[in-house]
Amino acid sequence: MQASLVGLTAASIPDPTHAYSEALVRRAQNGDAEAFAELIEDQYDRIFRTAWRWCGNAPDAEDIAQDVCVRLGAALKSFDGRSAFSSWVYRITINMVRDFQRAGRRRGAHVDAYAEIAPTEEAPSQEDAATSSQLWDAVRRLPEKQRDAVLLVYAEDLSHARAAEIMGIKEATVSFHVHEARKTLRGLL
Amino acid sequence: MTDHRPDPFDQLRNAPAPRPRDAAKAAALAAARAAFEAETEKSKIPAKGNPAARRLMSIFASFKRISIMDMRVPIGTAAIALLVLPLGWQLYSSTALSPTQSVSRPAPAPQPVEEAEPAPVDTRSEAPAVAPPVTTMPVAPEPMLESEAAPSMMRIPSAVPPPPAAPITLAQDSAMSPAYIGTSATEPSGDEFTSFDEQRLKIAAEEPVSTFSLDVDTASYSYVRRQLEDGFVPEPDAVRIEELINYFPYDYPAAPSADMPFKPTVKVFPTPWNDKTEIMAIGIRGYAPPAEAIPPSNLVFLIDTSGSMDEPDKLPLLKRSFALLLDQLSDKDTVSIVTYAGSAGVALEPTSASDKAKILSALDELGAGGSTAGAEGIELAYRLAEQGKVDGTNRVILATDGDFNVGIDDPKALEQFITKKRQSGISLSVLGFGRGNLDDATMQALAQNGNGNASYLSNFAEAKKVLVEEVGGTLHTIAQDVKVQVEFNPALVSEYRLIGYETRHLNREDFNNDAVDAGDIGAGHTVTALYEITPAGEGQVDPLRYGSETTQPAASGDELAFLKIRYKLPGESVSQLIEQPVTPSVAYDDIAVAGIDAQFATAVAAFGQKLRGSAYGSDMTWAEIEALARSARGMDEGGYRAEFVRLVRDAAMLEPDAE
Repeated sequence: MQASLVGLTAASIPDPTHAYSEALVRRAQNGDAEAFAELIEDQYDRIFRTAWRWCGNAPDAEDIAQDVCVRLGAALKSFDGRSAFSSWVYRITINMVRDFQRAGRRRGAHVDAYAEIAPTEEAPSQEDAATSSQLWDAVRRLPEKQRDAVLLVYAEDLSHARAAEIMGIKEATVSFHVHEARKTLRGLL
Repeated sequence: MTDHRPDPFDQLRNAPAPRPRDAAKAAALAAARAAFEAETEKSKIPAKGNPAARRLMSIFASFKRISIMDMRVPIGTAAIALLVLPLGWQLYSSTALSPTQSVSRPAPAPQPVEEAEPAPVDTRSEAPAVAPPVTTMPVAPEPMLESEAAPSMMRIPSAVPPPPAAPITLAQDSAMSPAYIGTSATEPSGDEFTSFDEQRLKIAAEEPVSTFSLDVDTASYSYVRRQLEDGFVPEPDAVRIEELINYFPYDYPAAPSADMPFKPTVKVFPTPWNDKTEIMAIGIRGYAPPAEAIPPSNLVFLIDTSGSMDEPDKLPLLKRSFALLLDQLSDKDTVSIVTYAGSAGVALEPTSASDKAKILSALDELGAGGSTAGAEGIELAYRLAEQGKVDGTNRVILATDGDFNVGIDDPKALEQFITKKRQSGISLSVLGFGRGNLDDATMQALAQNGNGNASYLSNFAEAKKVLVEEVGGTLHTIAQDVKVQVEFNPALVSEYRLIGYETRHLNREDFNNDAVDAGDIGAGHTVTALYEITPAGEGQVDPLRYGSETTQPAASGDELAFLKIRYKLPGESVSQLIEQPVTPSVAYDDIAVAGIDAQFATAVAAFGQKLRGSAYGSDMTWAEIEALARSARGMDEGGYRAEFVRLVRDAAMLEPDAE
């Protein structure tokens, strides 16, 4: 709980840390390798957690996080500051998850199997774990847009506006996807 | 619906995520650093090579009419550029090794264009490459423009008030300061498009005649491509299907002579997205006169130098693309430059295109800066055009990112002004740059009133396509006011629908009225129009119960339709007519045998319809569209079709088909 909160505050509110990372971005864009190393080191944990939340197992999350890091290295120059850097990273991560899952749809069964035994750092109480895991499972199985909206808003604890920015859609559409997700999962919840 | 229980989704908040393994993290970071360094290396190369290459290009002026097919090399050759370090830039722009490279371009590199091209700017300025979009204008621009303007402003003649000189570090500071607010835009907004309704299905018995103006604009495709590559689905009104289709070169048979400037090619084949209908494709290729027969051109560039032009993909891109164009001009041609907004005035008096050094240095001195003050730009530009008027092409070329503050405020008055000037023989083309502020509607309106084309230059490759490969079409008009009229035979065709051309629709009576303006065709242009037609008996619309059985179609044999094209030869006021019946002899049973051009145009149409969320043809999956386009790639010397295939894939990822 604590750990995830710490991860989240760094991501959402523009604060000194945020400004600092924007500055790093700029330096890295100008070819400063050290700045880039620092930046990516900074981002890695968050990327990994996001990937884990989306796909539900550590090996895939590691692969995805690495792909995201490589992509950041290659594409940082094209980051145009149109959105916050953290949003951009989110977008890349989510796209990467999607590509990864599409590429490996055949392995879908394995993914679920892993999810069941995914190690969690702080095991919640027994009952929580059961509902939670069932819920997580259901959420991860939602259609992509609904899943992305729900996870961004709830698991990542972002505002609808941020989620909209990340997904490149309108704020109202985020609410709509969340609503649809509720409808889809009505039986389960 | 209020839920009294706690929101189940709230539980998602409490989920702990495992800590990443250190080994995995280390591996990822190492890989990322490697990728970053590779990228940094790569972008250094063009930065060094570019300015020199620009000068060198004029040495090869004797080759200037040789079309270098590939302009996309810079895009994909990022990796190759690493290997071919010292050869760099001028190699690919002046030798024949281009086409093969373009094919080997790695597909999953969505944005290398931006990375490879704007390098010269990156090296000296901190901010512009990451500048927030124009939507955040009120906060960002002031300090930013200095970084680009400062180096070039030093050389600006005294007539131009220099902006407050600010040290370059200012830009850096501002980037770090809280003033940097880049989070407001969810989608790139601010670009304006004329909204239009899709062409609807028409019943051949009730409305047998379809009339439209040919047009060869391609701005929509460039815009759509840029949006998709940046990961956005373009808004429906930005997708004009005819511009998508006409972006690509097609191999239609050439017209015989300047007097009969084009020869239509008509084909009928089954529709891939609807097995009850067929596509009637009308392809036209403009006559391409030999180089010595091209009349002299008198070009006046009217360049927007407002602050917003100070971004790598705007003024700097314009300068580089301009140098390309210059190499396409002959000694008979004259060039002048007028600026407006920012610094206003004549930057270059009419100068023979042979005096390249003078033109290039005038160009180099252009700098974006200041506010949009004092601007008699457009009148000045037309005055210069009048002065240097030649018996050939007289054209004002407006280059802007959407700031049309050219001295005439009222858009209607501006259109009228341009129309009046058009009648005196001076046409207007518009080159659009950048994104976020682009006023597509005005751009289209001005170019259409000015008998010119509107092109959107999103990157260097695009500039090369418009200004080098299609320079003939862009500059040398071979036919004016080209109108197409198709009359369908209700005995054989029950319904029809024109795909695209919504904004170019004409009334039936306009066809023979020579006073009604329509699009112009340039040398070598290819234009394609597609109709989706439903054979008699397969119609979706029920016949009228009480309607008088419409006049029995005259016994016209087995003709499906009758095609008429009206055009005026340049400078003439009376139109000529080309007529051609569409008979079953041009009908094919299978799209595969109708030729790759037909297949490709159909794939592009399907793509456009799907992207627009059209009521027609959305059933085709992205994969089917991709397969169709892929099978129709053909020689694809410019790599455009391969790029389109990639774009379809991008679109499929952004808007997946329902499963």
